[in-house]
Amino acid sequence: MNDDYLWDGSGEPDPEIQKLESTLARFRHEGQAPEFPEIVGMPRLRFWQRFAPSQWSFGLAAATAAVLFMAAFGILRWSQKLNTTSGAGWDVESVSGTPRVESTAFGKNTGTAKLGVGQTLVTDSHSKANISIADIGTVNIEPNTRLRLVAGGSGHNRLALDRGTIHAYIWASPGEFTVDTPSALAVDLGCAYTLQVDDSGAGLLRTKLGWVGFKLEGHEAFIPAGAVCATRPKIGPGTPYFDDASASFRETLTKFDFAASTPDERSTELSKILAEARQRDALTVWHLLARADESERGSVYDRMATLVPPPAGVTREGILHLDQRMLDLWWNQLGLGDVSLWRIWERSWSPAKT
Amino acid sequence: MTTTPAPETTGDSSLVLAAREGDRTAFGGLYARYARMVHGILLARVPASDVDDLVQDVFLRAMPKLCDLRDAARFGPWLAAITRNRANDYYRQTRAVAALTESLPEDEEELPASNTAPDAEAAVILTFVRCLPDAYRETLILRLVEGMTGPEIAARTGLTPGSVRVNLHRGMQQLREKLSQVSRGGAIPADSDGGRNSAAQKKNALRRRNEP
Repeated sequence: MNDDYLWDGSGEPDPEIQKLESTLARFRHEGQAPEFPEIVGMPRLRFWQRFAPSQWSFGLAAATAAVLFMAAFGILRWSQKLNTTSGAGWDVESVSGTPRVESTAFGKNTGTAKLGVGQTLVTDSHSKANISIADIGTVNIEPNTRLRLVAGGSGHNRLALDRGTIHAYIWASPGEFTVDTPSALAVDLGCAYTLQVDDSGAGLLRTKLGWVGFKLEGHEAFIPAGAVCATRPKIGPGTPYFDDASASFRETLTKFDFAASTPDERSTELSKILAEARQRDALTVWHLLARADESERGSVYDRMATLVPPPAGVTREGILHLDQRMLDLWWNQLGLGDVSLWRIWERSWSPAKT
Repeated sequence: MTTTPAPETTGDSSLVLAAREGDRTAFGGLYARYARMVHGILLARVPASDVDDLVQDVFLRAMPKLCDLRDAARFGPWLAAITRNRANDYYRQTRAVAALTESLPEDEEELPASNTAPDAEAAVILTFVRCLPDAYRETLILRLVEGMTGPEIAARTGLTPGSVRVNLHRGMQQLREKLSQVSRGGAIPADSDGGRNSAAQKKNALRRRNEP
């Protein structure tokens, strides 16, 4: 959907938005500027302005300068030693046991710790922690987890999960919270989800609310509520599926995504997946459009069309050529989320931001 | 609505510096530039009947604090933060006030005095906007009520244009869904607390976002 009119009033006017504008205009601010009282007490003198230089003796000035220099030097050394991150850090509290930020352990009775950019949070087999991020959400950290804060603030909040399990509950705008794993980048698109990474770097993402985007280079997956998606190092995200799919369906999908199958085996696996796909497995089948070999894409298209008829503007030929606009139109037809959110995030996001 | 270019905020610095020196005209200039933003942020959080008074109160509170503003060019985001804090204070001071939208038919305080059909419709729509998550409702009110464009909202509030665009898009999507529920005769959601109950608000925000 073109939202130029909503954005800046350009483009073709949207009648629904125009009606909302005219209806809500009665609440618009119309007030005139009041008569402001005299602004008293300004300009307020800064700290150093309160001391008139003319009143200083040379000796006092020299002594003060020396003290200030030593204090500044001390603070600098202290900050370098501790790599302090106040301001950019996130508050971490212990839920149980003694998690560590870098080498500093903290417990329930020692208050919150600060996880600064570049620092690592580790929980052992007995400890759990909780990160609260103002205006972003909360992240619960399970035992045996290791994560790092890669970036924080300014609409760009990024963790790296090296291993373990986190539960993220995010209320920030879509795309503002991301989690790196060794095998894919998880992008919050408005959701609550659980992300697990094992020691090999393989991951599993399970969405509880909203939806999540999973990405490795050009490989992407959208995981709506109730769905699961696995990732593997050097391969990236597999094909998402709803967690109530049959065991047979899931096993075959795992083979299709990650096993070193021969072309014939792969073709057999794809046929089995398509045959077993239920109506709601259109989620999985849509993803297979881009993952199936070109020679098999026609059969995926046919199955997808029986589950969710292609909307206007989507043609078989276009899909067989992986026309991005048509794929997006068809995705939106599933009612699982507006893919334009993802495209906006993609345009605005760059790994260099970190 | 006509297209308007992104507003200049560079002149803010000179107005802020002049206002710091006691120039009331300069402060009036800041009021003229930012009153709609302040009004919209408040309208997203407090009863409409109290918003006008609070707008003036926000500016009166901001005046003596101008000297604390380190970067004069960041006046907009600074004022937006003061406004949000003022809205929170409002509820701390008036805890006895009933919830804004606990039950829409009883939400008479939002209905303008004339209570005509268009007024009631506007109040209902405003209530629905207020049911949206914080970021969406604030941005949508600035756009739909105050008539600010996306670039203008970004420049005034300090949000990135990308965030504003996403907030507008997603907020509008959720608003359409809520309005279509009503037109289909569905239940009117009564899940907004006006932004006062943080825990419930977060829970509601998560629940609302279950519709990607």
